[in-house]
Amino acid sequence: MQPNRIIVLVFALLTLAACPAFAAKTVIQYDCIPNYANWGGVTKAYQKKTGVKVPPDMKGSSVTMAALEAEKKNPKADCAYYNGAIGFQAASKGLHEPYKPKGWDRIPAGLKDPNGTWWTVHSAHVAILVNTSALRGKPVPRSFADLLKPIYKGMIVYDDPRIHGTGFTFVAGVNAILGGDKDLNAGFNYMKKLDANILKYAKENSYNELLRGEIPIWINADGNGLKAKHVDRAPIEVVIPAEGTMTLPLVMGLVKGAPHKEEAKKYLDWLLTDEAQHLMAESFFQPVMPVKLNASLQAKFPPRSAYARAKVLPLDQLAAQADVIKKRWEKEIEGGR
Amino acid sequence: MNLPASSIPISSGGHARERRRLAPLLLCAPLLLLLLALLVWPLTHLLWQSLLPTDAPDSGITLRNYLEIFSVPRYRHALVWSLELSLAVAAGSTLICLAPAWLFTRCQFRGKRLMRGILTLPMTFAGMIVGFLMVILLGRSGFIPQVLERLTGQPLLSGISYQFPGLILAYLYFEIPRATLTLESALRKLDGRLEQAARSLGATRWQTFSLVILPTICPALISAFAVTFSVSLGSFGVLLVLSIRRFTLLPLEIFTQYIAPPTDQGLAAAMSLTLLTVAFGAGFGLRRFARSREVANA
Repeated sequence: MQPNRIIVLVFALLTLAACPAFAAKTVIQYDCIPNYANWGGVTKAYQKKTGVKVPPDMKGSSVTMAALEAEKKNPKADCAYYNGAIGFQAASKGLHEPYKPKGWDRIPAGLKDPNGTWWTVHSAHVAILVNTSALRGKPVPRSFADLLKPIYKGMIVYDDPRIHGTGFTFVAGVNAILGGDKDLNAGFNYMKKLDANILKYAKENSYNELLRGEIPIWINADGNGLKAKHVDRAPIEVVIPAEGTMTLPLVMGLVKGAPHKEEAKKYLDWLLTDEAQHLMAESFFQPVMPVKLNASLQAKFPPRSAYARAKVLPLDQLAAQADVIKKRWEKEIEGGR
Repeated sequence: MNLPASSIPISSGGHARERRRLAPLLLCAPLLLLLLALLVWPLTHLLWQSLLPTDAPDSGITLRNYLEIFSVPRYRHALVWSLELSLAVAAGSTLICLAPAWLFTRCQFRGKRLMRGILTLPMTFAGMIVGFLMVILLGRSGFIPQVLERLTGQPLLSGISYQFPGLILAYLYFEIPRATLTLESALRKLDGRLEQAARSLGATRWQTFSLVILPTICPALISAFAVTFSVSLGSFGVLLVLSIRRFTLLPLEIFTQYIAPPTDQGLAAAMSLTLLTVAFGAGFGLRRFARSREVANA
């Protein structure tokens, strides 16, 4: 081949590659982990219904907020999903655009921002998810205090609170459950003791590792454990700790300057419909809308009495303290050899 | 563009020669531009970021971020552990891979291609995949602990992948192909007549190896060491999966400081440049050293 022809060929290829690929309709949701709150199933149903693709995204709450902040001038995401406190923090940083999706009025007050910068889609509780076959005959831990027993050494995992919102809620909330003061010392003392039994502070989603028994005990959302038990039929027990637990509202918001804004609005509307809310309930996250669940599904949820001692943590306070709590965790729990 | 090719005096046939040189040069140009753009712009940006304190970017240039790497125990440990791990992995993989590299260049045997394939396969895996492989093999419910438990009744080696030996093993696993390939290409160039000469002059096998072969392949060993050291220094995908408790490496610290709020981008930038300097310095220094040995041997 003549050298000139090679050059022409290369340039032709470059031009071709530069052409934007045929864009199928998409909505980008940051923090769309398929194994968390059944986002895999929910987005699949939406694509089947409308043809709009919502690709999976493995960022945790905090990473999502950081990404939105970094991309502020040139947003890539349309909507974002977080744990309540981090979503509140992101909204107060002005990363969201006010939007009130259809059905807004039926979201209970306190679970939404009056201006529409964030709203809850479903909620869960922090629970102890136990793979009973991986316990090898050890008793199932029933409380936060049980988790400190030396028999569970190297068996417990919770998510890195700097990355995942669920881990953050646990770290920030356990203090209140243990009756600690505002200084959070009781909570941090607990986590220092717990550290002796920790296998790892997960930076990736650990759902599959729990299923396989690689992780015997995962402190995470109750819904994920119930799905592992009822849908994936793994030997999982979902323990609501005897001391009580914290509710974990999971919120969404429309990203300011979203590239596919109109599509995103339709998607956010749909997430509050009975159909979508029921899908979320099928993976055992408590729908925020008053949807009727059929009796057999309702029976698989733990009885209301189990959550009698669940605390609702004030999101504004948590959000205000979030950075301090994470820095303290980094220093006191993960720091130094 | 003023291409060096144009400086060649044009005689009969010079035109063709010029064209022969022009095409590859033109083809290289986009690559060169891309590399320069990817190198110069981000590095300048990083350097600038590393000199500004994240919480007070208007207070002027400071070396605080760099000092923090050495004064905060966690970051100092991360740097030291990164160096330790990379040194151990580089030394280990260079030594281990000498044998297969030798085998591949000197011997013909059945299954050589298969063996070579197996040995170079890990290079295609991302660090995270190696991490998952380690969990499957040596995790808490990994394959090896389960077999050992069936044999001995004790869950031996269970969860070793979440500990330091597991990490070394994982790093060795993906450095083995790199070291093997580097050594192999160097050994191929080794002149076999030198050995024959040594043997015919009455040297024992050991003397031949230690006095003739080893000094000759020393530059190759050094360059294999340099390559594996730099690559280990920069990779952290394995650790991202294993999240070894209380253990951290500098690249992982950069990752968390950069992406997990409250982020400290000044510190992350300072860490990145420190890592880059060490990796580049070590690689450059070792390769220079290797070249001087090569000249001495020639």
